[in-house]
Amino acid sequence: MDDKKRHLKNDILLVCILLAAAAAALLLPRLFRRSGADLVADVTVDGAEYARLPLSENAELEIDTDGGGTNVLVVENGEAYMKSANCANQVCVGTGRISAEGELIVCLPHKVVVTIETEG
Amino acid sequence: MWATNAMKKLFSLLPAAALLLCLCGCAGSLTRYQTTYLDVFDTVTTVAGYAASQEAFDAEAEKIHSLLLEYHELYDIYNDYDGLNNLRTVNENAGKSPVKVDARILDLLNFAREMYDKTGGKVNVAMGSVLTLWHDAREYGIANPDSAYLPDADALRAAAEHTDIGDVVVDADASTVYLSDPEMSLDVGAVAKGWAAGAAAQAVKDDGLTGWLLSVGGNVCAVGPKSGGSKWQVGIRDPSSESASSYILKVGAADLCVVTSGSYERYYTVNGVRYHHIIDPDTLYPNNTFSSVTVLSADSALADALTTALFNMDESAGSALIESTSGAEALWIRADGTQVFSSGFKNYVVK
Repeated sequence: MDDKKRHLKNDILLVCILLAAAAAALLLPRLFRRSGADLVADVTVDGAEYARLPLSENAELEIDTDGGGTNVLVVENGEAYMKSANCANQVCVGTGRISAEGELIVCLPHKVVVTIETEG
Repeated sequence: MWATNAMKKLFSLLPAAALLLCLCGCAGSLTRYQTTYLDVFDTVTTVAGYAASQEAFDAEAEKIHSLLLEYHELYDIYNDYDGLNNLRTVNENAGKSPVKVDARILDLLNFAREMYDKTGGKVNVAMGSVLTLWHDAREYGIANPDSAYLPDADALRAAAEHTDIGDVVVDADASTVYLSDPEMSLDVGAVAKGWAAGAAAQAVKDDGLTGWLLSVGGNVCAVGPKSGGSKWQVGIRDPSSESASSYILKVGAADLCVVTSGSYERYYTVNGVRYHHIIDPDTLYPNNTFSSVTVLSADSALADALTTALFNMDESAGSALIESTSGAEALWIRADGTQVFSSGFKNYVVK
């Protein structure tokens, strides 16, 4: 009788441990990802990596592209924006400030893409 | 003694535990990735999706990209491609001979004809002769703002004589397209991006995937919800703001396409007045009643065609069209900034 009870107790304990392990496997990466998440402005020119600027540091970057195209990207107070560009349509400058993961600034004439990403 | 029993129990529980761990672990390990392409339909294409690894995401994204490039080449009216009969080939053979084309051109033109009938001619892919005058003036005006000009009104009227969609002869059996009016040309800008985005979304679905979001120049298609089940949030741009990142509201999307056309896209300025790229087939000029129109539908191509139609229709005609189209909703933003919603649109608005 006593033995059976103890077995039951151990079984319950075992299941609890397994559940806890499973929960930890599920939650830990998320917690880790959130706390360790630093946002960066990823800059590519014609698909090739050009620069990665952490949003946590104010900076100004001149992006020089083939054929004399120049864009000036500013990171300020956790946001990124295109301060100026010598392209005709000025769509990139008009995009304004971005700061959330997945947001974009694109200069189609100069093939410049700025994406907010989580630093992996 | 109990220890061996516990061991037995442990082993009997192991498969279940392993399954549990795997389920949790797998769900937890899907990561959101995103990439951008600039070489499709002269616009910005963004692909986002949840995948187990960067490699898995890249493989699917590149598949989507090459599919979109195929559509881009087929529907291109400005460039030739080696060994490919595209819409430029069709246009060059207007009044001369039928051109044998890929089924994806025939399908698009059949759909465009349906949309022409459905919208009372407000979406007309046979308007290339008119649109090319606007295109040339806009390209020049963007590059040379000080000497920007409007297309000549007489030239527009003369071009409009050659826009009868009945002169687009599609022969399904022979797989050919023939423009019987030699002055006619096709321009599928009003439907092509939506059609291609819909095909790409279907390809993702066919691969058994969910949790992907494609955006082809403002034609947004969500394949399933995000990983974890919450809906994608698609921002509708505030047309009164110069900033493209300020939203007027957000739409929750899962297996839904969200298409917005705005007067802030592809415009140019002549003597201080903006002229956008959506040309009304009846007036031959851009219609400035609305600053943007958004259409929601599970059918990407339909949503794309309807945004163009609604831009060119008054509110009552547009509203009648939307309310009679099953599963479609619309948001009109008038030039003065006021918003008009179709009957079910607000069900999709993220609170």
